[in-house]
Amino acid sequence: MGVLRLAHVDVRTPDLELSTAYYTQVLGLQLAGRDEDSVYLKGWDEEDHHSLRLRYDNRIGLDLFSFRVEREDDLHDLEKRLESAGCHVERLSRGDYAGQGESIRFEVPSGQTMELVWDLDKTGNILGKHNPSPIPPPDLPGIAPPRMDHLLINAEEVGEAYRFFSEVLGFRMTEQVLDANGHQLGVWMERSHSPHDVAIVNGPNGALHHFAFWLDDWDHVRKAADILAYNGVQIDQGPTRHGVTRGNTIYFFDPLGTRNEVFTGGYKPDPDFPMITWSEEQFGRGLFYYENVIAQRFLRFHT
Amino acid sequence: MSDRILRLQHVQIRVPDLELCTAYYTEVLGLVETAHDEGRVFLKCWDEHEHHSVVLRQAPTYGLDHMAFKVAELEDLDYYTQRVEAAGVAVKRYARGELGPGWGDAVRFDTPSGHTVELVHGMEKVGNMLPLFNPPPRPGNLVGIAPPRLDHIFIMAEDVEAATSFFTQVLEFRLTEQIIANDGHQIATWLERSHSPHDIAIVTGPNGALHHFAFWVDDWNAVREAADTLAYNGVTIDVAPTRHGATRGYTVYFFDPVGNRNELFTGGYWVDPDFEPITWTEEEMGRAMFYYAREVNERFFTVHS
Repeated sequence: MGVLRLAHVDVRTPDLELSTAYYTQVLGLQLAGRDEDSVYLKGWDEEDHHSLRLRYDNRIGLDLFSFRVEREDDLHDLEKRLESAGCHVERLSRGDYAGQGESIRFEVPSGQTMELVWDLDKTGNILGKHNPSPIPPPDLPGIAPPRMDHLLINAEEVGEAYRFFSEVLGFRMTEQVLDANGHQLGVWMERSHSPHDVAIVNGPNGALHHFAFWLDDWDHVRKAADILAYNGVQIDQGPTRHGVTRGNTIYFFDPLGTRNEVFTGGYKPDPDFPMITWSEEQFGRGLFYYENVIAQRFLRFHT
Repeated sequence: MSDRILRLQHVQIRVPDLELCTAYYTEVLGLVETAHDEGRVFLKCWDEHEHHSVVLRQAPTYGLDHMAFKVAELEDLDYYTQRVEAAGVAVKRYARGELGPGWGDAVRFDTPSGHTVELVHGMEKVGNMLPLFNPPPRPGNLVGIAPPRLDHIFIMAEDVEAATSFFTQVLEFRLTEQIIANDGHQIATWLERSHSPHDIAIVTGPNGALHHFAFWVDDWNAVREAADTLAYNGVTIDVAPTRHGATRGYTVYFFDPVGNRNELFTGGYWVDPDFEPITWTEEEMGRAMFYYAREVNERFFTVHS
């Protein structure tokens, strides 16, 4: 009960056509809709209307990220919890935003806008429900990830942001990085029995570090690297492996500089999972287990 | 409010040769022995935190003693006791530790298909094989296939619809996929609680029978490596590495030394609670089971334990 999983990420782009070409042809998302200033996209296995919204604006950046709640009445319960935590909550109705009904929006302590929603338009995945093929058509362009997986945001006060997600929204910490004084430098949190649905790493308030798509296995990660390199996409890190989450990964930038990730692997935590702690001097290994160096661009560059 | 039933926690199976089976499950499959008592050996996979996920019990026959699902809160045992009793089924309660080493509080009852289901809370935490401080992504001293965890169980029922409706109506499992015969009855069903394609599946066959239980591996490459390990050790492979239509999973099926079927499984998809079930027709049943071969070998449907 409560928050279920990441539903969609909404980002800004100064070149809507270029970004749309990249996300449909290179990343290989499905075009789900368009309106006057926005394009809506989704992975081929997603049943809901969209998981990524690109909105035209003269700067890149994060508009908001949206989580789905498990039951319709969870929205009301969480709204009450947010209000008693002193949050200003804005309520949206069907028709205010494409592909979904009622939702609530609020600001998290690190300045990003977050949304909670239950009522998503079920437009179906690409396979259907009757004797479906286990794979999408082989001629899908690009990497073609099945679905969105998680996002990582920055916060000046990681501990404060963590307490909000944990105490108000019921997220569970799976892993954390502590500095020598015991301050949290990074936290990984889940609701979907995965290593993370959202992570927070030390950095400027309001910033987006990256959002990530799920791939089925390491072989698909390698193929994704080939597709990125072939298309001249700037690869930030990898393919490699994380210490934190144990995931296999590649980081890269979309044409306007927003960081993307493809991710697979990890583990399946129960709600009583015993949390894992990394120390600051092992942070390099925690981030990239094979390289074991703290990549400065990775930590300093964000949207 | 509680998340109720979370996932498959353990299976207890009968084996006529406990020593041989212990050797197979620890050295070929690569599970870890955590305890033994008179006539039982307790095993777990390397990434599992709880005391056991497989119990082998010395018995004259092979087959399934019971399957256990983990519940999120202790109060869930009362919640489900009420629901199961309201369905006219007797429930027995067991205190922590009463059923064996490392065991939590539990309830047990029988399904309409003659299987014993246990719900358990508070299994002893023995930790996975990694530290909780700066852990490497994988332990270094694994033997055999060494899957990280137990994944699902597949049982047989004379009346699949009655068994399925017990799991969905009483235990609140959700249907992800089904095979429907031309006359409209359910031949097989796949059910989940853990947002995966299945925690349990039910196929037409004798009541009380176990078709197989399955362990998770990380990817298709691990399935192929496992097949090498099985072949090297002379294990009978039932279905060589292939892909399911239903669940979209990658799989290899094989038999333990006394004839209980095991599976290694990976892939699949994420399921929301309001996932609309997938339906396979009888003519496409071969493809639903084995997508490449498009037919089911006779042994797969007729041999069980």
